[in-house]
Amino acid sequence: MDLPFFLDFLAAALRIATPLLLAALGGILSERAGTFAVSLEGQMLCGAFCAIVVTHTMASVGLGLLASAGGGMLLASVVAVATVRFRTEHMVTGLAANILALGLTSFLMRALAGTGSVSTIRVPLLQAWPVPWLSDLPLVGTLLFQQPVLTYLGVLSIVPLSVFLFRTRAGLTLRAVGENPQAAFAAGTDPDRVRMAAIIAGGALAGLAGAVLSLQQVGTFTDGMTAGRGFLALAAIIVGRWMPVGTLVACLVFGAAEALSLRVQAFNLPVSSYVIQMLPYLAALAVLAGLGRTARLPAAIGQPFVRP
Amino acid sequence: MNAGAQLAQAPPARTPDGGWLGTVMHAHPLLRALVSVVLAFVITAGLILLADKNPLVAYVHLFQGAFGSWDRIVVGLNKSTPYLLCAVGIALCFRGRVINIGAEGQIAIGGVCASAVALFATGLSPWWLLPLAMLAGALGGAAWAGLAAVIHVRRGVHEVLVTLLLNFIALLVVAEVLHGRMGEEGAGFPQSPLFDPTAWLPKLMPGTELHIGIALAVIAAVGMHWVLWRTTLGFRWRLLGASKPAARYAGVSAGLGVFGLMATAGGLAGLAGGIECLGVHYRLIEGFSAGFGFNAVAIALMGALNPLYVLPAALFFGFLETGALAMQRQVGVPSSLVLVIQGLTMVFVLCAIGRSGGDKV
Repeated sequence: MDLPFFLDFLAAALRIATPLLLAALGGILSERAGTFAVSLEGQMLCGAFCAIVVTHTMASVGLGLLASAGGGMLLASVVAVATVRFRTEHMVTGLAANILALGLTSFLMRALAGTGSVSTIRVPLLQAWPVPWLSDLPLVGTLLFQQPVLTYLGVLSIVPLSVFLFRTRAGLTLRAVGENPQAAFAAGTDPDRVRMAAIIAGGALAGLAGAVLSLQQVGTFTDGMTAGRGFLALAAIIVGRWMPVGTLVACLVFGAAEALSLRVQAFNLPVSSYVIQMLPYLAALAVLAGLGRTARLPAAIGQPFVRP
Repeated sequence: MNAGAQLAQAPPARTPDGGWLGTVMHAHPLLRALVSVVLAFVITAGLILLADKNPLVAYVHLFQGAFGSWDRIVVGLNKSTPYLLCAVGIALCFRGRVINIGAEGQIAIGGVCASAVALFATGLSPWWLLPLAMLAGALGGAAWAGLAAVIHVRRGVHEVLVTLLLNFIALLVVAEVLHGRMGEEGAGFPQSPLFDPTAWLPKLMPGTELHIGIALAVIAAVGMHWVLWRTTLGFRWRLLGASKPAARYAGVSAGLGVFGLMATAGGLAGLAGGIECLGVHYRLIEGFSAGFGFNAVAIALMGALNPLYVLPAALFFGFLETGALAMQRQVGVPSSLVLVIQGLTMVFVLCAIGRSGGDKV
């Protein structure tokens, strides 16, 4: 394997990891505040749908990105109301939201396209945007600084998110609600409100993750196009121990597994492409099983807050 | 940590709130499911209006498509069969606080195993071949679910993630065998050759497409109801769901219980996969399991995790799907509307359960 090929492989891993990372960061917000983020998959799907439709009709990528965040937040609010106000079971509520998102986006796409085929709604892909000066650097330049815009956004958003979670009062409150809502309540916060806000804010990030898929990687919307990426993001959160940096590493590992599966097919290996496509899922399972019980969940995750 | 607790645990004494709707939602699980379905249909009617179609006309066609003729009813019954089998297994798992959402993968593997018997064990009489194929399907599904249980119990990975990830791997296994030894050459679509007619499931009513699968599924549902409420095994499973510490004190191993529950549910799902292949398609086709797993979760919830109540819920979903396909053909309303109805129904049922603090078991 020569060097340019290897660099290309790493750059692809980073590109593939971007939607996983954005979704996982949104999931961290939700889970740190105490709500399992099983609906990431559906939130991504809503985001991908809104991004394509608004970019297509308004001819503006900026509005499309805003809409994708809005789409993710919309589904997240359904989950927030159900889990927080109605105290529903988190895992199954997330699944219900995923089914709802799959049906809604597929239905609306067909309704919008009218009698014509769905593929008529199509937008040009976001192109790579080389960072001036930096992209000319040898090795690192091609790897890190010749990526599409949303990839920079995804990786950079780790910094404000880490600062927010671990260096601000609001972040402390959010984590307190996920660890011990009773104590947070005694200290004068309303855990329910914090949880709802965290879920919905996470939805915005997951919606953007969907926009990465539709605007940066595919160029149109297809039914269920997230194809399990929301669930991989969920695994990445656990592997990354609910820490933004750790989650980035986990996403890169899963991204690399997928990038590898795309490239190995060119090598004429004696294994079929379907076995190789299993790589990201097998990698996720292997890493999760390897970590075993050492992963420590936020203490109050999955438990509804009941006022004392 | 306590995921699933709420679905299965006895509720704290708390009066229902939420006005008249709250009262209705707590009256009876089936009434609750009915109200949730009606609410979902009302909201969905808004979507149909949005698509510039008349919701009443659409719903009339949906009803006619589901019950308009014997043929339609038979299609609906066949469609309900895998739903019933999978949802009964999922209901058992949820009762034991195991959130098994791997039915889709378990169906897929069950279908592969049953189809392998149907393709390669030729020359046997149907009296041997069919039971063998069904057994292979059930064992395949049980093994796939058992694998998930082992990873969950031994390594402490959450069962939702394990079963989800195994779903994707199972679908790729189907693709792999269809592009390998079990595929039909030159078919243009990933599918196996047509099975020999000796490997087709017999019909329940001669002259119709209704196969014996629905009878098997009903027997399984009644059988599991009996196991759950009348046997020590069922008592252990319910004990696990009600209280892990109490179960441990009573000498019930949580690990073995989870394994048993998952393997049982996987066996039922695998049987469903075998029935789909040998009774409906007469071959293994890529994507034959699509959507069954998640819908079965919705059905189990609608049926209040009770194998007997799951029966009407499964029939409802089966007929809803066949009706929706007819509606799409006749009125041009996309059939993905069914998913919206299913998702909304699930959310409403969950909200009703959550507000009441869990179901009585």
